[in-house]
Amino acid sequence: MGGRFLGRKAASAAITILAIILVNFLLFRLMPGSPERIILRGVPNVTEQQRVALRERWGLNDPIFPDQFVKYLGATATGDLGYSFVARGQTVAAVIGQRIGPTLLLFGLGEILAILIGLALGAYSGWKRGTAVDYVGNGISLVLYSTPYFLLGMALLLVFSTGLRWFPTFGMLTAGRIYASPLDLLADLAFHLTLPLLTVSLGLVGQYSILMRSSIVETLSEDYVTTARAMGLQDGRVLTGHALPNALLPTVSLVAINLGYVIAGAITVEVVFNWPGLGTLAVEALTARDYPVLQGVFLLLSISVVLANLLADVVYGFLDPRVRT
Amino acid sequence: MTTAAIVIPRRRPWTGAIELLGQLVLRPAGLVGLAILLVLTALSIAPSFFVGPIQTAVTATGPRLSPPSIDFLLGTDQLGRSMLNLTVHGTRISMVIGLIATVITVLIGAVIGIVSGYVGGRLDAVLMRITDFFLVLPTFVLALILTPIIRDLVGNATAEVFGIRMTLIVIIVVIGITSWASTARIIRSQTLSIRERAFVDRARVIGAGGGHIMRRHVLPNVINLIVANAVLTFAGAVLTETTLSFVGLGDPFQPSWGQLLEAARAVGAPGLGAWWYFVPPGVGIVLVVLAFTLVGSALDDLLNPRRRRAP
Repeated sequence: MGGRFLGRKAASAAITILAIILVNFLLFRLMPGSPERIILRGVPNVTEQQRVALRERWGLNDPIFPDQFVKYLGATATGDLGYSFVARGQTVAAVIGQRIGPTLLLFGLGEILAILIGLALGAYSGWKRGTAVDYVGNGISLVLYSTPYFLLGMALLLVFSTGLRWFPTFGMLTAGRIYASPLDLLADLAFHLTLPLLTVSLGLVGQYSILMRSSIVETLSEDYVTTARAMGLQDGRVLTGHALPNALLPTVSLVAINLGYVIAGAITVEVVFNWPGLGTLAVEALTARDYPVLQGVFLLLSISVVLANLLADVVYGFLDPRVRT
Repeated sequence: MTTAAIVIPRRRPWTGAIELLGQLVLRPAGLVGLAILLVLTALSIAPSFFVGPIQTAVTATGPRLSPPSIDFLLGTDQLGRSMLNLTVHGTRISMVIGLIATVITVLIGAVIGIVSGYVGGRLDAVLMRITDFFLVLPTFVLALILTPIIRDLVGNATAEVFGIRMTLIVIIVVIGITSWASTARIIRSQTLSIRERAFVDRARVIGAGGGHIMRRHVLPNVINLIVANAVLTFAGAVLTETTLSFVGLGDPFQPSWGQLLEAARAVGAPGLGAWWYFVPPGVGIVLVVLAFTLVGSALDDLLNPRRRRAP
């Protein structure tokens, strides 16, 4: 693959990340009240002297641009995102760090499941276009696509936890339980994970299936598919050998592009199930107006999305030489 | 001697719209979508006509959190308010927020798309850079931070605009300024192809300025695309508002569907088995998004020249 293609994509991603940091920097300065008042929030009896000393120490007397921004950039690059307003004495990085694991587990697995099921369902619907299978499959996909993730979660919670009592209603592990073996812990985790995971996967399946279906339908009208049929290939071979590989490409890139949009749903599923991940953290921070934590979550999620897009671009470039221009 | 007058029939501007509606109704997806929208529009225009004035904690008459009965067809919430009443009034609030947010989104997107596509050059490069930034950004998370900050900036939230409380106006504006990017992209690419057409050259040759050409020649040719896009945007705006309300950014005094769902979660309705608390507003949301998606994609098929080929 051409180095120029890679370089251009990487530079574009770097500029985007820089812009995200700039937005984050500006947001903090948009807030009403001077920064030192926000930093000293809740501290009683602050003398004028202390205020001046604090302004000096935090560099608030320097011009906002470029001095303060450059310092901010340096701090962000080294992972220093400031301190949480609520969890006193804890850095934002530490607060966020505890929450990354659960979110990765839930959404990593959810994405994989949804991509597998969604693409298979969409490909099959598109292949059987116009039949009863297509109508039912596409109808289910459309309804799932129209349902907010948290609503799906509430419905599943009602049926499977409250009604049937199959699964626990909240959390990642049973509180206060002591595990005899790591296997026990894993079983308890799987027990708690099932419903949130089902919600995330079902929520995503609709979207991916719709994308895949239209991609397959478009591919099936291409000349090379007609040629393959004319050559007397079996239906199954036409689908797996000719239509699928070509239909997969645009779908994979759309999946990456939609990642940012998916995060919106992600946040709410965690809230419904009290899953101790980044989404629940963001909502807690929002309720308590813990802006540093909220901005930290925003920074982390945006940069992840940009990097995921970069990865998709590079992979796409590998698979389809036409885009490498 | 008689002069033969050549009469060119002038098409009334709305003839096209009626024709389009006719074609839309012929498609099952379009028909179902339009029917749902018609009912919901009726509910949101006159909610008081159907279920009486909105019930508050003071005017509530029912028992607390009771399942559906003859008196309360959809049950009651934890304050004894009728869920039927709340859901119907929520229709209006959700739809109005969706409508205004869509207008803002499409306005920003169309202006940026047309200007960027028509003017081109460095301006185009800068505008598209910004558009790409908004496209890749998880805009929902940005909206999550922007909403409380702007609310703090605006200050006391008792003021009303068009009968909508300031808290909701902030949500509307935030949705508008974070979700215009895809509209701008689509309109720009269409503008690029229109710019090369002969009638635009002709207008330029007889001395028309850029603003005039964009308004009188480009806009009428992208308006179809704008309409189709607006319908799809509406579905997204309702979903975004619902999600923002669900995480606690709604207004309890003007409860939208999302706000009702948030209240249901806070009370623990799924854990209590109180399905009637979240099923009615939930069904409302699914119906609205489904209807707009159906109409939007049917319109897209009809209007988007690139997709017209596929049945």
